[in-house]
Amino acid sequence: MMQAWGTAACVQQARGGGGDPLERVERLASRSAVVIFSDSSCCMCHAVKSLFCGMGVSPTVYELDEDPRGKEIERALARLLGTPQPLPAVFIGGKLVGPMDRVMASHINGSLVPLLKEAGALWL
Amino acid sequence: MASNRVAQPGFSEPESSNQSMVYEVLHGVTPPQPNFIEQHGSAYDFGELEQALMPKVFHGVGLGADGDRKRNCDAINFAAFLGVRPPTLEIFPSWPVRPQPPPTRANSQSAESTDSGSAQNTGPWKAADARFDQESPISTKGSDHSEHHPQGEMASDPTRAPSSTAPAPNSQFKPLEKKKVTASSSERDGSKQLDAKTLRRLAQNREAARKSRLRKKAYVQQLENSRIKLNQLEQELQRARSQGLFLAGGAGANLSSGAAIFDMEHARWLEEDQRHMSELRAGLHAHLPDGELRVIVDSCLGHYDEIFRLKSVAAKADVFHLYSGIWTTPAERCFLWMGGFRPSDLLKILVPHLEPLTEQQFLGICSLQQSSQQAEEALSQGLDSLQQALADTIAAGSLSQGPDVGNYMGQMAIALGKLANYEGFVRQADNLRQQTLHQLRRILTIRQAARCFLAIGEYYTRLRALSSLWSSRPREIMVPEAHPVATATELQMVQHTENHFTTF
Repeated sequence: MMQAWGTAACVQQARGGGGDPLERVERLASRSAVVIFSDSSCCMCHAVKSLFCGMGVSPTVYELDEDPRGKEIERALARLLGTPQPLPAVFIGGKLVGPMDRVMASHINGSLVPLLKEAGALWL
Repeated sequence: MASNRVAQPGFSEPESSNQSMVYEVLHGVTPPQPNFIEQHGSAYDFGELEQALMPKVFHGVGLGADGDRKRNCDAINFAAFLGVRPPTLEIFPSWPVRPQPPPTRANSQSAESTDSGSAQNTGPWKAADARFDQESPISTKGSDHSEHHPQGEMASDPTRAPSSTAPAPNSQFKPLEKKKVTASSSERDGSKQLDAKTLRRLAQNREAARKSRLRKKAYVQQLENSRIKLNQLEQELQRARSQGLFLAGGAGANLSSGAAIFDMEHARWLEEDQRHMSELRAGLHAHLPDGELRVIVDSCLGHYDEIFRLKSVAAKADVFHLYSGIWTTPAERCFLWMGGFRPSDLLKILVPHLEPLTEQQFLGICSLQQSSQQAEEALSQGLDSLQQALADTIAAGSLSQGPDVGNYMGQMAIALGKLANYEGFVRQADNLRQQTLHQLRRILTIRQAARCFLAIGEYYTRLRALSSLWSSRPREIMVPEAHPVATATELQMVQHTENHFTTF
């Protein structure tokens, strides 16, 4: 069931050089318009992916549980977001939007769509 | 149970609850289900009942299954206790006197045995036979203790007061002196003495019966007191329940403490909500200036924030209480989505009542509707995948061959982890609801926002009213005279309607 994301979203290996995990996060986040750090078994991650796909956006998804160094990234994200459960973590246009509730709130208050358009993830 | 009721002299006809309580108390059992007594009740016969009662009442004295037909004062006592009138005492028994096994029983006539002296009972205590054998000797005892009086010894027992000094029959109402009447003496004596002895015996019997009745009265009094106490306790519990714990869904004693606390706070919140509604109504009616109206509207919005905060706390404590919607009323529960209202549903209802809207406002509302719909869809899909994963985890391994013991706890641990995710979804859903209300506030003008919150409040008030009407609707299934009942309930319904619409 989770394999469907392979086609809809662009699931990539978090390749790239070593270095500070936070740097890696930034590097990965700026590679694509919409980046989601996710866990393939996490159902809330499934929900956020579903949200973007429902809007016609193709996010780039990094499944950290399938990455050998995913744990480091997850820890770095936890520090960044200030919460022990940072996933799903959404970056749009290289900038951190946040965990699920922030994504929801920004969608409701209408700020998400302009952000997506600005990042080139969404066309009118 | 009527078949078990015995006419009890000097005692008002017991209710079946009394009787079952007697049974319960005497057997030290928890109150049986209603049909328990019914099942057994009709099967009881006197012998069963007395056998049931005997061990407790008479403190462990064993009962023979079938008494020999020896009459003894205890049999009479017991019969009197149960209120069975002993058959007419035969003054001149026609049955032959025959040798009896040694009478060994507590003399209920002893002053000490008024209540519990029977602890001293020894020997076989035969089931009371309604046919009292007049020849059975009344065993007499020394003042405090029962003695085993083998038949032949009584007459010659030097410690005993000789029977000849027994008081005359007309002294039957004296508290019991120890009279010695023995089987042997009665047997051996000629028929001349029989009358005197018999009369004495009769007197003793009467005395014993009287004592029994007094004991029974005392016991019943005790039972009555306990029953009153029980009722009081139940009432107190009821009161505490209705005041402290609002069991809206009727979940009863199964509420966890987090759930109970939330239910209580929710009830309080509803009362507060009514206050906010009246303020809004009054403010709109009085055409307050925007500044003042804004204060009222913002306090109303803050009140909504409060319920979401309470729900967030409750989700941590007992997410399934929220998720099940048992804290809402039945009609509200029809529309339940992830532990609360569905934002896009509410928006659909509200839009016609927000007119007139400017073009920009209208677009804003439409995009709000769309984004809430998308968000709801995303959350629902996420929850679906959670359900699927949970089902897969539970169903892993063979279902038909029973659990794999080795993996069972591991499987359960994984399932537990998945189950915990429900909290996240309910939390996100509440977040969505809260954001939607805030966005509405932003899009609308103050007056529109005031009308909007008033409309939301009124809508849910009506849903709750519908729920009460539903719960109190007339049900004519088993009532033969449906009409009077229906009328009464209809009146009640009308009253309800009035109650709920007075504020409108």
